[in-house]
Amino acid sequence: MTFNQVVWKMAKADYKKYIFYFLCNSFAVMFFFMFSTVYFNSRIEQAKKLEGIQDALSIPGAALIIFTIFFISYAHNVFMKKRRSEFGLFLSLGMSPRDISKLLVIENGIIGMASILSGLLAGAVFSRLSFMLLMSSINLQDIPFHLSGKMFLYSIGAFLAVFLLAVGKSLIFTLRSSMILVMKSNRFAETIKMRSPLLGAFGLLLMVGSILTLYFTYEESSGAFLPLWTMAMFLGLYIAFSQASSFLIRLAKKFPGYYFHRLLFLSSLEYKFKQMTSIIMLVAVMIMITIFYSTLLLTFYKASEKDAVKNNPFDVAYYQIETKNNLSEAELNKILQTKDQLEIPIFYYLEKQILAGNGYHSYNFMSLRNFNELTKQEKSLENQEFLFFLNSEPEYAHTEFSETFRISMGNDEVTFEMKDYVVERRINLLPNSYEFVVVNDEVFDKMTNSLDGHVLTLNLLNVEDWKNSEGAVGELVKKFEAMNQAAPPANFSDLPYIEEELFRVASKVADFHLNKTTSGIMFYVTTFLSILFFMGTFILLYLNLFSEVDTEKAKYKNLYKIGMTSKEVKKNVTREIMTIFFVPTVIGTLLAFIYLVILSTDVGGIMNNPDILMHFLLIAGIYLAIQLGSYFYARKKMLIQLLG
Amino acid sequence: MVIMETENIVKVYGGASGEGSTKALDGVSLSVNEGEFVAIMGPSGSGKTTLLNVLSGIDQPSSGSVSISGQEISEMTGDALALFRRRQLGFVFQEFNLLDSLTAKENIILPMVLEKKSTAEMEEKVQGLGELFEIDSILDKYPYNISGGQQQRTAVSRALVNEPAIVFADEPTGNLDSKSSAVIMECFEKIVNELGTTVLLVTHDVFAASYCQKVVFIKDGQIHSSIVKKGSRKEFLNSIMDHLAVLGGRTHDI
Repeated sequence: MTFNQVVWKMAKADYKKYIFYFLCNSFAVMFFFMFSTVYFNSRIEQAKKLEGIQDALSIPGAALIIFTIFFISYAHNVFMKKRRSEFGLFLSLGMSPRDISKLLVIENGIIGMASILSGLLAGAVFSRLSFMLLMSSINLQDIPFHLSGKMFLYSIGAFLAVFLLAVGKSLIFTLRSSMILVMKSNRFAETIKMRSPLLGAFGLLLMVGSILTLYFTYEESSGAFLPLWTMAMFLGLYIAFSQASSFLIRLAKKFPGYYFHRLLFLSSLEYKFKQMTSIIMLVAVMIMITIFYSTLLLTFYKASEKDAVKNNPFDVAYYQIETKNNLSEAELNKILQTKDQLEIPIFYYLEKQILAGNGYHSYNFMSLRNFNELTKQEKSLENQEFLFFLNSEPEYAHTEFSETFRISMGNDEVTFEMKDYVVERRINLLPNSYEFVVVNDEVFDKMTNSLDGHVLTLNLLNVEDWKNSEGAVGELVKKFEAMNQAAPPANFSDLPYIEEELFRVASKVADFHLNKTTSGIMFYVTTFLSILFFMGTFILLYLNLFSEVDTEKAKYKNLYKIGMTSKEVKKNVTREIMTIFFVPTVIGTLLAFIYLVILSTDVGGIMNNPDILMHFLLIAGIYLAIQLGSYFYARKKMLIQLLG
Repeated sequence: MVIMETENIVKVYGGASGEGSTKALDGVSLSVNEGEFVAIMGPSGSGKTTLLNVLSGIDQPSSGSVSISGQEISEMTGDALALFRRRQLGFVFQEFNLLDSLTAKENIILPMVLEKKSTAEMEEKVQGLGELFEIDSILDKYPYNISGGQQQRTAVSRALVNEPAIVFADEPTGNLDSKSSAVIMECFEKIVNELGTTVLLVTHDVFAASYCQKVVFIKDGQIHSSIVKKGSRKEFLNSIMDHLAVLGGRTHDI
């Protein structure tokens, strides 16, 4: 019998360990591959460029990568921990560290290769399945499933990078460390070196502080510091978390009556938490991201119609001048079934500011008559008065405007005083349609005659049935485009918009479809990722529980010998698994909720957005239900292992 | 008063009959009186540990009966047996079997915790046992920070907290050096003499056995003979050695 045969025999006897390690790596490859089938999907790539969902995808993408890095190195550590005590034995029998390294490389090489193959295969099958399932459930037919070289390349590359890093670390450890350390590594429990309640309190303070700061500054800073405070919050959470179990248990020890009766549970929890801090933390963050994103995206998806209606008070809106977008009423009526129509001349005027150096100030003037017609109000203005009209939802209005302005008309310098300030959304989202200065009709006429500006006619139309107006609006857009191209350029060099943008048609129906597709794709991607994340967290927790099942078995065997009943074993195991499964779930859900509350401050607070709350409850409920299912599964498996 | 009685215990491994089966115990009848200190000795493979496991209810006999304090434990199963074990029996193992995640004190009170005893009672008990076995200074340490002898004394304390009718010890000195062995055996002597507890130990350590009042020899699953201490420990040790020689095991050259 050669030494190689001995090694091979040992490997065969311990096949479970290898299978376990292989499965974990396969899962990692599968995660990468499934994500890349979405990320590099041609239709979604197109959408990423057009509709700006790049950010929405890159955050969970980054989370997935961090998660997988952790996942692979964790699986590797579990594998190596068991392997190392054997290596110690080999070393003591005279095998050189070089031989051990060779063995390690061969083992990991084979497992890595096999994992790539099976992971890609499983990934392709599962992604195809989930594409089919999700596409039909959210009614999006236009995302075809396909595979490309890029998907394979990136997922293999990402996996290999992380995998090789983990193996490299182990190689260095094996080559460098002493025999006794290698032999005993199996028995060293990872402990936290820095333990102090003060540090824990600091972590807690950092976390709460970050959350509160974020809450109170989010609206004002419009989220500019979101990443910074989120990082600080996670850091605080991690510090608090790593100290929490020791602290709580030390506290419990002060009350022996309480502590002694939960002795087994609390002590094993302390021991496990020490090793699991980072895992529980990671799982909590994954759950937070999953619930937070899914809630947000579900809200966007559900709001596609509402947003389209809100952003487009009129069914169709566009600017018109003599040569652009100019259709006769008859022609227009032939295309659209117009119900009512408003035509509002807007006078755009750019004035050089003498006082403020070379600055310019642009004005969009509107006549009072048109304003009253548009907003259905009865305002009145004197000649030197003006009314500031902000075309926006009040909760998004952050524009300051001075109380007076001066303008030179002919030889006169006229000063206007602000009489009123109106914030309402009345006009569709068009360029150049945010701030308006309303003056009385006489002044308006005088301005258009004496000042050098442009009159743009704002056309606002309502049709009979906007939801069915997609074809008609499309036809109108085509007609306008043809007409505008034939006409000479409008030559509005002083307007900060390109012509195509300025004369585009803003319609309710196009917005609705765009919203629906964009949020549909995003919702799909998020759901897809949520499933991946859920699978990942479950495997991680499961892995953690079962990687030490032999030790647990021995422990409960001892306890059985001294008279612990199976009922008590059950109770104890249940408590432990419940803590491990639900502490991260509760923390993650709570954080997701806090973040939703913070983000809602921008749109008037969570209480004014009951749909966000409802969607949160729905998603969190679904998550909890699935987590509950997986908890029962893990518990059952564990009890079978322990009680036989 | 007889505290434990067995009748004709047979234990067969690997099926009731057939070629693969091994008879580990072949009709063992034994009775132990209250307050007795008995050792079971025999060569490797003679069935010592099997006997101890059957007597303590960890293993079920294939036939025959075991009764402790008048209760038939060979008929008990599952949780009833576990409850009986923790109320009536104490255990000391060769590998100490302490939980690494608990301090010495917590390990000792563990059976009381399972019994839901009051905190005051636990504290009192631990204090008493700690003093008795001279481990009160290490009570707040974890098992991996104390010596083997101290671990075993902790295990002995654990075996005693619920005031068992009988303590079973399986090679309690097997993992200890001779000095620690002597300390542990003195502990057992104290248990018997001061607390009046019955102790039954399985050992192949002649030195350990010499502390007992009676030694029962088994061979091939059957009781071969037994001797009772009459004179000093030294004389008893010599007569145990003589017996072992007769039994066919190898004697130590001293």
